[in-house]
Amino acid sequence: MPNPTPADIENLIELFNRSDWDEMHLKTDQLEIFLSNDAQARRPSAPLVAASVAAPLALGTATTPAPAAPVSAAAAAAAETMIPPGMVAVRAPNLGTFYRAPKPGAPVYVEVGQAIEADTEVCLIEVMKLFTPVKSGVKGTVRQIVVNDGSMIEYEQLLVIIEPAA
Amino acid sequence: MTIKRTLVANRGEIAVRVIRAAHALGIEAVQVVSAADRDSEAARLADRVVVIGPAQSKQSYLNAKLIVHAALQTGCDALHPGYGFLSERAELATLCDENGITFVGPAAETIDALGDKLRSRAIAGAAGVPLVPGTDKIVSVSAAHNAAETLGYPVLMKASAGGGGRGMFVARNADVITSSFDAASNEAKEAFGDGTLYMETYVENARHVEVQAVGDGRGRVVHFGERDCSVQRRFQKVIEEAPCALMPAKLRGELHEAAVKLLSSMKYRNAGTVEFLYDVNRQAVYFIEVNTRIQVEHPVSEQVTGFDLVQMQFRIAAGEPALPRQDQIKVGRHAIECRINAEDASKNFMPSPGRITRWAPPQGAGIRVDSHCRDGYLVPPYYDSMIAKLIVTADDRPACVERLRAALDHFEIDGLATNLPLLRHIVAQSDFAANKIHTRWLEQDVLPGFQQDPI
Repeated sequence: MPNPTPADIENLIELFNRSDWDEMHLKTDQLEIFLSNDAQARRPSAPLVAASVAAPLALGTATTPAPAAPVSAAAAAAAETMIPPGMVAVRAPNLGTFYRAPKPGAPVYVEVGQAIEADTEVCLIEVMKLFTPVKSGVKGTVRQIVVNDGSMIEYEQLLVIIEPAA
Repeated sequence: MTIKRTLVANRGEIAVRVIRAAHALGIEAVQVVSAADRDSEAARLADRVVVIGPAQSKQSYLNAKLIVHAALQTGCDALHPGYGFLSERAELATLCDENGITFVGPAAETIDALGDKLRSRAIAGAAGVPLVPGTDKIVSVSAAHNAAETLGYPVLMKASAGGGGRGMFVARNADVITSSFDAASNEAKEAFGDGTLYMETYVENARHVEVQAVGDGRGRVVHFGERDCSVQRRFQKVIEEAPCALMPAKLRGELHEAAVKLLSSMKYRNAGTVEFLYDVNRQAVYFIEVNTRIQVEHPVSEQVTGFDLVQMQFRIAAGEPALPRQDQIKVGRHAIECRINAEDASKNFMPSPGRITRWAPPQGAGIRVDSHCRDGYLVPPYYDSMIAKLIVTADDRPACVERLRAALDHFEIDGLATNLPLLRHIVAQSDFAANKIHTRWLEQDVLPGFQQDPI
């Protein structure tokens, strides 16, 4: 990464957010970046010559709690409904209208207690008549469907709780 | 007011400005935000907040379908697009029309027609508005060479589909065209999805002047005077003022008339700005383009006329007889706006997002600060770097410049790099006080002598 652009950094943060890593520390000639899920975390060594982009980003993602940043926002969203330990949440990829069935009157995608695969479709999200099914992402058993059929859902909202297969 | 609830389809200071205008009129505001703006000032002020997508604009503020879906689901009967993002995409206005939502802006066809630079030139020409000598679309380097020979160097290549300096370059000789043409076309294609370029005579010692206008959609258009936005860097405005103090009254009258003629020929609806090049040497004005939105620099026109343009946008959209008569609009006093950006001039103006640890704007008579920032606010790295607009008003330009100097000196922002040191430097220049500036002045005469200690 000889000349990282803001988009590169953005992608890095996005990748980190989607990973199950606790920390990421990347250092090149041009750039040093430290990302952490722990608000109290500090860079392993803190040289004052940190590259220009690294400093402000570190401010936002590592050294201070960042209520507006996606990482903490996810945490905030998680607090709205308690997810029992060991359970996995299926969340909304964007705003839309939540449907449990592919069309009115059709059987629902899944019922509570149903065993599902990672690629099983669990619900449908509509944005201006564009319908996108949402997959479970994990093999297991449906434990709770949190949202009512036909209601508006926001980005990252909790939709379905799944107990992963052992 | 026939509008009950508006969706605010923007972020930052303009979202705050729109919410406050809506509330002043008794309109409820629903704010759509990306995940990065959940805790923004606009989100705090709005009556309801809806998170539509992740931080990336493409999946949030630039997704018209998500935004209109949110408007419908939250019972909005109007939508204000602000500036930037989707404000000048006919797609958003069309989606609003199709779903019974009042778009607070011009008709979709107007946005479409004026958004294409070549079409808008043709419309302006037909309305008798003076044009910079220029060409139709140019498809090859050799065609560009021939056109430049006819017009005479220097020439300016521009993208047909958009502005913001993208796809734009100045050529003083044929070699520059040879070396820059393909890159500019690619840049335009990347930015606007259309790589078409065209060429204009490049006016040296030009000023950028623009006329603020509002139309009722039935053919009546009034203007709110002109603004002078000649302090620019890379075709981006840095300081804007009203009025253009050095323009003679006769030319000013012609300028206003040209703008009103152009917009009334289209039965223009809502707020718009007609931009012109002011050739000071020849004392002539030439049409550049029409911006079919409220602009960043609208406050200077509000300050010198006393009208609230964003409130007027809502009232026009609601079909109220909100348009004043032209003789009710008087330009008095002088106003100057500085754009405060989170960027580091010592590092080639690199954006400097981060957490604001101290936010202390100036206060006092004639001082207005439009901003979404506060102590502890995190400026996210995903969007435009503008964090505030400082607008200073006084009886005349010299008094206004004095007041602006003091206001900039007392503006304290800690925690991230800003362009405040550069703005202070600009305003301290004798050429700025003497109003001897042009659109290349900042880059040619000021920046080379500007040294800033790294922060």
